[in-house]
Amino acid sequence: MSTEARDQYQEILQGLYTLLARFPTGNVELKEQTDLVADMGLDSINVMELLQEIEDRFDIIVPLNVMSDIRTVQDLAIQVQRLLGENS
Amino acid sequence: MSISKRFAELEHIRSALNEADADPGRIVMERMLSATEAEIAGRRTILAGTNNYLGLTFEPGILEASHQALREQGSGTTGSRMANGSFASHVALERSFAEFYEVPAAMIFSTGYQANLGILTGLLRAGDKVVIDAHSHASIYDGCRLSGADFFPFRHNDPEDLRKRLRRLGDDARGALVVTEGLYSMLGDIAPLAELLEVTEEFGAYLMVDEAHSLGVYGEQGRGVAEAAGILDRVDFITGTFSKSLGSMGGFCVSRHEQLNLLRYGSRPYIFTASSSPANIAAAHWALDHVRSHPELREKLWSNVAQLYSGLKDLGFRLGSAPSPVVAVRVDSHDEAARIWNELLASGVYVNLVVPPASPDGASLLRCSVSAGHSPEQIETIVAAFGEAISRTAFAGACCSG
Repeated sequence: MSTEARDQYQEILQGLYTLLARFPTGNVELKEQTDLVADMGLDSINVMELLQEIEDRFDIIVPLNVMSDIRTVQDLAIQVQRLLGENS
Repeated sequence: MSISKRFAELEHIRSALNEADADPGRIVMERMLSATEAEIAGRRTILAGTNNYLGLTFEPGILEASHQALREQGSGTTGSRMANGSFASHVALERSFAEFYEVPAAMIFSTGYQANLGILTGLLRAGDKVVIDAHSHASIYDGCRLSGADFFPFRHNDPEDLRKRLRRLGDDARGALVVTEGLYSMLGDIAPLAELLEVTEEFGAYLMVDEAHSLGVYGEQGRGVAEAAGILDRVDFITGTFSKSLGSMGGFCVSRHEQLNLLRYGSRPYIFTASSSPANIAAAHWALDHVRSHPELREKLWSNVAQLYSGLKDLGFRLGSAPSPVVAVRVDSHDEAARIWNELLASGVYVNLVVPPASPDGASLLRCSVSAGHSPEQIETIVAAFGEAISRTAFAGACCSG
């Protein structure tokens, strides 16, 4: 990964931490390996809200069907970076 | 996940519902007394949770049409239309649907669920884009998943949010599919279809509207919310069901595109299932004709809606939407909803208990569906039962404004 891509990834990660902090986390420390459902307890309605906030923040559109492959914050950050790449 | 884990997960859900005395699956209608009454747990109960909006299920005409079809065509078709042939009654019903909607094409399916599944999987391929209202019915979500298309929810009933999402799709928005419903079944709110259509057309996308709960209920001729919004001739695909206002079982799609008929060659939920039984088809056909020729049924329904809505509002209940045949009472918690629901059953009134994740926005609801078959006295009894239930519950006041 280039330095530029690494910086972009870190920026996305920080953005996701900010968005995720607004959801009930059950006092879970947010890190890359945090599991959105198992650790954070997000339900399907939370996931929909999260998706919409991610889309607004990064001005991308995330297919709901990719969410079934996403378990952790890292998975989500990678997916956002991929979608940003498609848009550019 | 292993099967034993899956069983454990489901057992957890069942236990939680049982502990809260809130398992809707335990309701058995031991004896049907009419379109609006049954015996439940030995008690004569008014049914206000059946989606039988026009109350046609016990009409002499619908019963006679079904009996005649049974006698003349037998109890079942025993096969799929593509593999084993269509009955003339299937073809005739499709023709009637096409005439009713003034379109060149109509297809019928064995259930409403399969109509949405069949249309979405027939139209869409992997990589195609479909944008759906976030409150869409499970059949729409499942159809999208099964199609392999990329699908994107937009905020419920929000044309600006739809616009934002179509814009983000860039060139892919042209030819994408937008899916909405007419009347939403849980909160009872209707879609701003004219505005949603305007956005859809702006991007060169197609519009599909599911009128499952609005056929026979909205529009001058009962063709649904699209008719009421004055955009019927511009909607690309309309789906719906026979199992609500038509008092039967099955589903349909009509389209202004004659090519809808091509889906018969590529829609697996259409091809690989038995076609509807003759009795179901005959009942649906009779009911469709009846909807067309008896607009007074809708007047009766809307009069009942007004009576129930104002009665509950006067009691201080918070209602999910403007008046519609779905009157959803919002309560603050799952426990409170279950308590009121049980109180209502004990007083001989059946409504639907709806709690997350089945409810669209995390709400706990006591959902009433109004029928043209209800008498004013029955509506009065339903309102009174709500009043008594709330006065007896320990949470009195928690659900009501003022």
